[in-house]
Formats: sequence, structure tokens, C-alpha cells
Amino acid sequence: MSHSLSRRGAALAMTGVLAATLAACGSGGDSGGSDSDDPIRIGSSLPLTGEFSQPGKAANEGYEVWVEMVNEAGGLLDREVELIVKDDASNQNTIVADYNALISQDRVDLLLGTFSSLLNLPASAVAEKNQMLYVEPAGGSPELFSRGFEYLFFAQQSTADRQGLLFAEYIAGLPEAERPKTAAYPTLDDPFAMPVVEGMREILEEAGIETVYSETYAIDTKNFDSLVSSMRSADPDMVVHGAQFEDGIGMTRAMLKADFTPDVLFQTNAPSFRQQYEESVGAENTEGVTFGVSHSPEADSPGNQEFVDKYEEMFGTREVPEDAADGYAAGQVLQAAVEAVGSIDDQTALADWLRENEVETILGDLSWNDDGSPTGDFLIGQWQDGVPEIVLPEDVATAEIKLGWQPGGAG
Amino acid sequence: MTELLQTLALGLLLGGVYALAASGLTLIFGVMKVINIAHGAFVILAAFITYWVWEAFGIDPLLGIFITTPIVFALGWLTYKVVVSPIRTAPMASTVLLTFGLALVLEGAMGEIWGNNSTAIRPSYVDQSFLVGGVFLPKAQVYGGLIAIVVLGLLWLVLTKSWLGRAIRAAASNPASAELVGIKVAAVAALVFALGIAAAGAAGAITGVLYPFVPGSHYTWIARLLAIVVLGGLGSLNGAVLGAVLFGLAETFTATYWSPAWATAVPYAIVFAVLLVRPQGLMGTRLREDAVAT
Repeated sequence: MSHSLSRRGAALAMTGVLAATLAACGSGGDSGGSDSDDPIRIGSSLPLTGEFSQPGKAANEGYEVWVEMVNEAGGLLDREVELIVKDDASNQNTIVADYNALISQDRVDLLLGTFSSLLNLPASAVAEKNQMLYVEPAGGSPELFSRGFEYLFFAQQSTADRQGLLFAEYIAGLPEAERPKTAAYPTLDDPFAMPVVEGMREILEEAGIETVYSETYAIDTKNFDSLVSSMRSADPDMVVHGAQFEDGIGMTRAMLKADFTPDVLFQTNAPSFRQQYEESVGAENTEGVTFGVSHSPEADSPGNQEFVDKYEEMFGTREVPEDAADGYAAGQVLQAAVEAVGSIDDQTALADWLRENEVETILGDLSWNDDGSPTGDFLIGQWQDGVPEIVLPEDVATAEIKLGWQPGGAG
Repeated sequence: MTELLQTLALGLLLGGVYALAASGLTLIFGVMKVINIAHGAFVILAAFITYWVWEAFGIDPLLGIFITTPIVFALGWLTYKVVVSPIRTAPMASTVLLTFGLALVLEGAMGEIWGNNSTAIRPSYVDQSFLVGGVFLPKAQVYGGLIAIVVLGLLWLVLTKSWLGRAIRAAASNPASAELVGIKVAAVAALVFALGIAAAGAAGAITGVLYPFVPGSHYTWIARLLAIVVLGGLGSLNGAVLGAVLFGLAETFTATYWSPAWATAVPYAIVFAVLLVRPQGLMGTRLREDAVAT
């Protein structure tokens, strides 16, 4: 069954490879005005399909809950809010086209950000060029805030480099006998995941914890067996893994297959996906996994229970994904600025107001540095007895922190 | 030494699954000169069907191949009749665009039916391994590799030892003459397309157990599969198997001995290097028109 290959055939096949990496563009729309009786049109583009579709869809749910609740309460500046969301298919080129279209074709009044640092990097540049306020629900890479932007604000508690801070400080502060001696730092090549790991590594190395493995892997990595095999050879006491969702699951499963279960496992993102994480790695393997997280459905922050109730009414579950809560909080930040300024005409005034004030959200009170980066502390979560608890900081903790990953322990 | 054996074993197991997924792609091209960009989407579709069979009926996902594969075979046949057949003789670029569009439609349909959340199939043995002389062999991957070998073996037997295989080869090498001796080339093409998709289906059932997936995962798969069949020689089943094994080994050896950061890039660099020396791929052959073109 051996057949010929013409040069044209090979060229077409490689064209296919390129074509497969292209994503569908968002659709255009009608132009809108800003008359005082018209709805306020808020535009966003989210990764509703492609690699980031899971968090993208969750963020969209958060936006929808926020719009619903705002409209039920009489709207924004007594005007109905209308949300226009395009699908960027997790593609950096598409998202630029989408935000340009939202501004120039759809003529939206306000913008909300997208999911992930990777996509917010180019999208926020479009907003900045058009001098439009850009509140993002995700996108904590420090790189985003090193560009001198004036309209960009991150609606979570802290940037990525500080999101594992409390846990790293906790480990560093343990008595020497209890403290891990060695650590491994595998991380996704991603502008969000890498700074989290780097930030923690700095603190842990200062505490004398030796780095025995440190590698990044590409976003399209599916198979983690070889990586885990190398990491297992280095025999670390602790693993700090910078991950999104799928790779977080893949890595954990590869560790289990290789019977490599270090004393401590910290992972970004994936363990915060609650039920989906539990189903993907197995409930019995979650015990003691520690993670950074921005929101807890159980938190008693102002408005949180109303948000969770509404989410349940609209989507049928109280298992609110973290990204949905972040989306809702981004809406709250935008709403606070608009209501305080009393107008949507001057976006510079909206940005100036946010720089100078604190906003009450379901994630807690948020405030910002001049560069739009938030000034707070990220929460640390930990799976205990099949439930994701908040363990740090102590004043908002729902359970006491325990040391040790014990796969097979939670049943 | 253990590390070398470990890397080799993981590379071969990975290559086995790649080979099964790539075999259908190369088969379809070999007979129809259609580059099926939707092949990765069929792999993911089969993974979702496997998930559904496992969830709804509690059937082991790897045994579920006996249910998944016929369903995907039927979908492949239907796809050929409705979508591919009308433009089968159109320039190759048209079929590339058509099947790319089909991939997007399938992605959208999967998102509507199963949602865009990450899906994982977890039979009882999914996190277990065989330990052989210090080398761990993940059970799911070993089972998947064995299934891949059996399916590829059957495919090879059908193609080389049966009347159907002779008909397929005749239709591939000279459609006009094949018609003259009574072979219904259009029917053979439909059967080959469905067979190719069924092979993708078997691979999808296995990969669904090995890795979590979302509807958009097909982009990663089609990029790898196209590179594998080009490396092996478009249209060559043996070449696809060789290309897949080399691809798997390149990934694991790069991750172990260089850096995981390059593990997904190095295999593509190898493809480019091979094509510079052998434009027809490792096991492809050149026709006179190729020689004239150079």
C-alpha cells in the first residue's frame, strides 16, 4: 500500500497543518449609538471554543449572571445593559480582530476583558490604543502591567507572581525538620503559570529548599509520562506545578501512573475547578493537593451568596467555577466605576477613579496600583476529605492547612 | 540504562497510538488523494462516543471500541456520501478547505452535545502501571498499544491479502482501469473513507482513556497526524506506522534528554529535515510526474 507523494501533495498537507491552527473569526455586527435611553452595550471576546474553552465559557457565565442581576436592579445609570460576546477560539490573532470589531463595528460603550494572560496581552493593547477602560477577569501575568497602560485593571486579588506567595511563605516558615528539602518546578510555557512558579521558587530557594528539577513544556503537550519519569528520577519532596486545566490533569495522572507521589503538591488552576477536577483525577487522589484560588462559593464576602444563588438559578448548580466568579467580579468593578463617575463618556475618568478607590466585590475588596495591578493577597485552597477548602490567609480560612499529598486518602 | 529503557518504552507506546490514528489519514489519501483535515475531529468525536458508552452503560472504554468503531465507521460512510463524494475529483486544495470546514462543524456539534468542559474517561486501571525491571509501563497505554497493533495488523491483512484489498489498491493506482475490470471505484472510495475514519475511531477510544479532551483538542491531533503521514510518505500505511513510532520516540527522547519545552517542536523539525532529503517521505515513492516537476 505504498503510494506516491508529489511535492504538491506535501505542500498541501503542510498547508493543512497551518490551516488547522487558524480559527474562525468573530462576526461583525450593527453599529450602536450612546443615546441615554439606549441600552449600554458592553463588548467582550472570550475563548468559547478551542484550548481555553472551559474557563472561557465559565467567564461568560459570570458575565451573564452579572448582566442579569444589574438589569434586575434597574440597569446601569438607569439604562439596560446589553452584553455582546464574540468567540476568539483561544486564538491570539482572532482576539485582536474581535476587539477591533467590537470597538469600530459594534461600537460598544464599554469593554470587559477575556480569559488568560495569553489572550489579554494582545486584547488589552487594542483597548489601550482606543483609550477604553479594560477590566479583565483573568490575566495575572506581571508582563501585562509592565507596559505603562492606563486603562487596564485586573479584577482579582493579586498578579500571578504573588498568587502562591502565602503558601510558599508558609512552607518556608515551617520548622526545618518538617520543611521539604528539595523541590521540582515543572510549568506550562504560559505568561500566567510561569510567574506563579517563579514567585514561589524564589521564596522556597531562599528558605534553603534545593531545586532539583525545573522545566517548562509547550502548550500542546499531551503526554506527560517522559517529563514525570525525569522528575521522578530527581526525587523531589515537593512539586510546584504551573498549569492551566488539561495539562494539570495530565501531569497529575502521569504522576499517579509512575507511582510518583511527592510529599507536597501545589498546582495552579486545575484543582480550583472543583467537580471537574475531582472527576478528572479521581476523588481519591485529591487529598492534600494545594492551589491558589481567587474565590470560594462558601465565602461570606458581600454579595457572594446572592451571586451563587443567581448562578444556581441560571445554570443549575452551586458549584460555581472560579472563572465565573472572576467574570462577575470584573463586572462589579466596571459597574462601580461607572456608577461613581456617573457617565460612560469619559473612559479616562473611569480609569482614574479605579486607581484612586477601593471596590467591594465577591472576591473581597479590590484596589489597584497605578499600573492596574491589584494590591491584595491571593487565597490558598486545599482539597480535604473531597472538599476544596480555603486554608490561607487564616482570617478567611474555612479549614486548617495540612501538609502532604495523599492520593488514595479521600475516598 | 533504566532511564533509556523507560524513555524507549514510553516512546514506543506513544507511537503505537499515533500510528493507529494516522493510518486512516494515510489510507484515505492513498486511495482518494483527499487530505482529511477533519481526521483529528473524528478522533475526538470517537473519544466522546466512548465516554458516552462508558458513562451510560458502564462498558469498559477499551472494550467499548467494539461499539464505538462501528458507529464511527457509519458516520465516516455517511460523511463521505454527503460531503466528500461531490467534490472527490476536485483539486486537492478544495478538499483541504472542505474537510477543514467539516472539522469546525464537528467541533461545534461536539460542543453543543457534550459541552466545552474537559472530559476524562477513568476506568479502574487508568492510574496503574506494570513495573518491569524498574521501568513503569502505564496499563492503559499498554492495552491501547496492543489494540493498536491488532487493528493495524488486521488493516494490513485486509489491504494485502483480501480481494477487497486488491480492489482498493487497484482503485488507488489506476481508477480508470479498475473500473474496466469491474471494480466500483466510487463504492471502494466510500468504504476506504469509512475504514479510515473507523481507524481514527479506534484511536479516539484509546486516546480518550489516556488524555483529557475538549472539542477543540482536534487541532493538536491533526497537526501531529499530518506531520506523521508526511514523514512516513503520504499514502503509505507502513510509512505512517514508521513515522508515528519515530514521532513518539522523538517526543519522549527530547523531553527526557533535552527539555520538555522542545518535545513537541523537535518532531516537526525532523519532518522538515527528512523532507529536504526525501520529499516523498520515508516510505513514499516518486512518480514520473514528480521527477518531471523537479
